[in-house]
Amino acid sequence: MILLWIFAGITLFGITGYMLQMIAVRSYMDTPNSGEGMRFPRSFPPVSILKPLKGLDDGLFDNLASFCNLDYPQYQLIFALQNQNDPAYKVVQKIKEKYPSKDITIVIEHCDEGLNPKVNNLIPAYKRAKHELILISDSNVRVEKDYLTDISQHMDDPSVGLVSNMIKGVSGRSLGAFMENLHLNSFIVGSVCFLDKYLKLPCVIGKSMLMRKNDLEAIGGFRGVKDFLAEDYIIGERIHKLGKRVVLSNHLINNVNEYWGVKRFINRHTRWGKLRWQIGGAKYISELAGNAVFISLMPMALTPASRLSVLLAATAVSVKIAHDYYIGKKLRTDMNPLLYLLSPVKDLIIGFVWFVPLLSNTVAWRGNRYIIGKDSVLSPMPETGMWVFKHKVFSAIRAKLA
Amino acid sequence: MLLCDFHIHTTYSDGSVELRRTIDLFGQAGFDVIAITDHVVNGDNSLGKLAHRFRYSVTAANFNLYLSHIKEEAERAWDKYGMLVIPGVEITKNHLTIENSAHMLIIDVKDFIPACLSYEEIFLEAKKQNALTIACHPHYMSAKSDRDTLFLWNNREKYARYIDAWEIANRDDVFNVISLKKYPYIANSDFHKPRHLYSWKTLLNCAKDIDAIKQCIKHNKGVALTLFRN
Repeated sequence: MILLWIFAGITLFGITGYMLQMIAVRSYMDTPNSGEGMRFPRSFPPVSILKPLKGLDDGLFDNLASFCNLDYPQYQLIFALQNQNDPAYKVVQKIKEKYPSKDITIVIEHCDEGLNPKVNNLIPAYKRAKHELILISDSNVRVEKDYLTDISQHMDDPSVGLVSNMIKGVSGRSLGAFMENLHLNSFIVGSVCFLDKYLKLPCVIGKSMLMRKNDLEAIGGFRGVKDFLAEDYIIGERIHKLGKRVVLSNHLINNVNEYWGVKRFINRHTRWGKLRWQIGGAKYISELAGNAVFISLMPMALTPASRLSVLLAATAVSVKIAHDYYIGKKLRTDMNPLLYLLSPVKDLIIGFVWFVPLLSNTVAWRGNRYIIGKDSVLSPMPETGMWVFKHKVFSAIRAKLA
Repeated sequence: MLLCDFHIHTTYSDGSVELRRTIDLFGQAGFDVIAITDHVVNGDNSLGKLAHRFRYSVTAANFNLYLSHIKEEAERAWDKYGMLVIPGVEITKNHLTIENSAHMLIIDVKDFIPACLSYEEIFLEAKKQNALTIACHPHYMSAKSDRDTLFLWNNREKYARYIDAWEIANRDDVFNVISLKKYPYIANSDFHKPRHLYSWKTLLNCAKDIDAIKQCIKHNKGVALTLFRN
């Protein structure tokens, strides 16, 4: 019985967190995007958009094309690839052919200065950036025409050092993609808004980061973050330490996740979990405590089922479905309302995934394996010892199962 | 080089993705040429009747709709992606034994060809329509597969002269016998699900127009294979 009450207390903590997230998201989404509070007439400084590419993201052609249709006076698009054999190369060639009037540069340069493959793509791209303002934008995002106009206005204020954006998961067409989009549109958006609103922590989402070259160089440039997995977080933190503001724009950008398997969903959130565990340390525990669905199901798993334990789980599940639906509505997502019923299943999986970072500090990302250390510093996987043995055993099991 | 896939199914037969989404999947991935080749199944045995019953086959009744839908999507694909979409069908002669079963692609098909015709009649009709004929997955496939279709290979002496090219690779399978016989070859995904996008493909070194592509495949010059992976 005591165990039940302990879990009930933690569940209540989680449900309170859901409520606060809903309030935080509402306050962000109800703030007008542009105009209000801004100086007029405003400037439209030219921007260099850096697009690191590797492989085919879902809807890559449309994602890249959306950046060719921006309603903005002057900008440069830089598509950066490590080699010509990357399947994304054909797509960027087609984009360049389709938009001949746009200032598009395709950079193909192998760079292995760091261990973060995204930063390795950004280093050569940055050399070609012509403008003072640079925007780092992931290849799996799709934006509206007013995106750059909206976010660049923050740069009119010289105290602002970095602008990043809230994201929403869209276009899901498979179970893994539905779960991914549900998680982005609930936990990620909710947490980011929560941290920014109540704890005033600089939240940076690497999918879109607008900054000045001067500021980037003052914090050591891309080379300064080449060995960090969470390069976005480190850039945000360092710019904050420079005394500049890190702004979270409420202009939503679409993160396109169409055909994901459940395995890919689990892999991504295992990696992100490891990253948050290494950065946040003990604060990481709050994530499990905040997962009311997972916690509320624990008494049913650990003790004989009782009416009270069923009631606890049913309450947490209902609140979570309502929470995700509410945030989804606020974000104007394209999800079928029935899919919100998947939300408790997703949270249950995420509950189990939460434990993985406590047991393992290796990550596989874009075909490479690393050991992740404090603040997400990457180090190469050793060629000898237990790591290799473990890797070989797991690879052999995977090969057998394939 | 043109990145091509000439063996793609949609919900017009047993594919899981509808035509428009299929076109978008390939267009978004940068493909230059694709052929939509839904099954036309023989209805003269119980297997075929089942396929017709569950609408896993293009039929004489919906063939014109199928063709006009492909044409409409082909125009959109050309405008948006610069991707050439060619109409086709996969004539599907399924029998209880793999030795009697055969699948063949008719690329650039213009009129309906019933699958219950004899092989000669089908090939001659395809020639009459100036379409390309491809023997699909002509040899044993991986152990998990139940789709082996050996009839054309076992009767190659008789039918090879009608066949413009043979699938040397289909999805994850490679048929080295085609290479040994020095037959003209192409490689396709036999796309049914989004994950099949990542599979064997054909690269063609020719102009992006239907006649040049047909000539390139027939003469087997400037044809290369690639295992398309992400």
